[in-house]
Amino acid sequence: MKSLTIKEFKLRYRNSALGFFWSLLNPLAMMGILTLVFSALVRVGIENFPLFLLPALLAWRFFSIGTSMSLWSIVGNSSLVTKVYFPRWLLVLSSNLANLMGSTLEFLVLLPLLLALGMKVSWLVLLLPVVLAIEFVLIAGASLPLAALNVYYRDVNQVWDIALQAGFFVCPIIYSASLVPGGYALLYSLNPMTRIIESIRKIFYHGALPTAWDLLIPLVGGLILLMLGYAVFVKLEPKFAEEI
Amino acid sequence: MEVVCVADLWKKFKIPHERRTTILENIAGALQMLAGKTFTYEEFWALKEVSFHITSGESLGVIGENGSGKSTLLKILAKILRPDKGKVETNGRIAPILELGVGFHPELTAKENIFVYGTIMGLKNSELKKRLDPILQFAGLERFRDAKLKNLSSGMQMRLGFSVAIETDPDIFLIDEALAVGDFEFQQKCLSKFKEFKNEGKTIILVSHGLSLIKEFCEKTLLLSRGEMISFGETEKVVNEYLKRVQAT
Repeated sequence: MKSLTIKEFKLRYRNSALGFFWSLLNPLAMMGILTLVFSALVRVGIENFPLFLLPALLAWRFFSIGTSMSLWSIVGNSSLVTKVYFPRWLLVLSSNLANLMGSTLEFLVLLPLLLALGMKVSWLVLLLPVVLAIEFVLIAGASLPLAALNVYYRDVNQVWDIALQAGFFVCPIIYSASLVPGGYALLYSLNPMTRIIESIRKIFYHGALPTAWDLLIPLVGGLILLMLGYAVFVKLEPKFAEEI
Repeated sequence: MEVVCVADLWKKFKIPHERRTTILENIAGALQMLAGKTFTYEEFWALKEVSFHITSGESLGVIGENGSGKSTLLKILAKILRPDKGKVETNGRIAPILELGVGFHPELTAKENIFVYGTIMGLKNSELKKRLDPILQFAGLERFRDAKLKNLSSGMQMRLGFSVAIETDPDIFLIDEALAVGDFEFQQKCLSKFKEFKNEGKTIILVSHGLSLIKEFCEKTLLLSRGEMISFGETEKVVNEYLKRVQAT
């Protein structure tokens, strides 16, 4: 498991001159562009927009990169899948773990920047691993069926790309969840990723404790997704070597 | 004790007339079917009613013309493919070497590949560290430990695959024509390793067109033709039958 994860992590940055730095440059560039758009061009009137945005952006990257990478975890390892037998979900999990490593590093390395942006130092940061762990369950639950389906239908990748683009706007990344009008608020707050992003924002921006619902909804949602996803995966697994 | 037991094994493949890999193509295909057009693939039985068993200490040779189902059988024994019908039981750790190579990643170095493959085969990290040098030495690739796999020649890749597979201490060794790529010296090295293997009472299952190799190592031989089991039994007898069949056509 460990070697598979390390392999994934290494491969991700191999043959690129800046390697892991891209993982930092990308959210920073996004933060710069979005801050320019939303606090200079379109005034949304959110105080300290960079600090409002960056943690949410990192949490979203954890999910979007995690799922879109692991989408290829079976197909991309066809040489292994067609030559040796081992539980195939290990490939998905190792891709997810490599992504967890990446995202944890992003948070750690960008922490000084967050502090410089005006984040208050508090013990709340200790909650970050809990939130990331819950998000990890969610990612794993989505990754299993995606990776399995991608073996049979390569256009799953395209469909998921669109879903992720929609997700970027559906989740409260560039705006606050409190903006959603009353009628939709309940439905909106049932989205597990909404709760994850809000939790992260509470920790880093508001300096407040996430509520129990903020953590329970994504946790329960993640566990259900994981069970369903695993069931789909097991159903499709026997023919991987033939269909790949 | 029975090491491998195969009972009434059937394996089917679909040969598509029109390959459909996107959802849209599948929907289009389904609509065509509704409209009364014929199915777009035919079934092809790669293995039909294959049954045999080998007991511990015995080795098996598998022979037959191209496309007779030899490789499919090996892949099923390695659990990579699932049979459509029948039962396959194996006892012990299996190391498959199929179609050149054991599943290496071209972008990783020789050393990294050894670690990935070794862990998949169930070795501990500490064990692998100890075995790293013997593996590279057996493959004759000490100088290339940090070279990416894609930069090694196909012979070198095969040697590395072979060495790793041997070092994982398998009880059953599945080999699919892999020896052919190695040079003479390496082939000799492998053959003496095989002998060691056999002396330890382990099982080798060998797919080969080299009949002398089969005669040398395998007590039992299985002859396949178009997925059907023509005969199974003492090597001498089965090989002669094969030769007769070849001459008859």
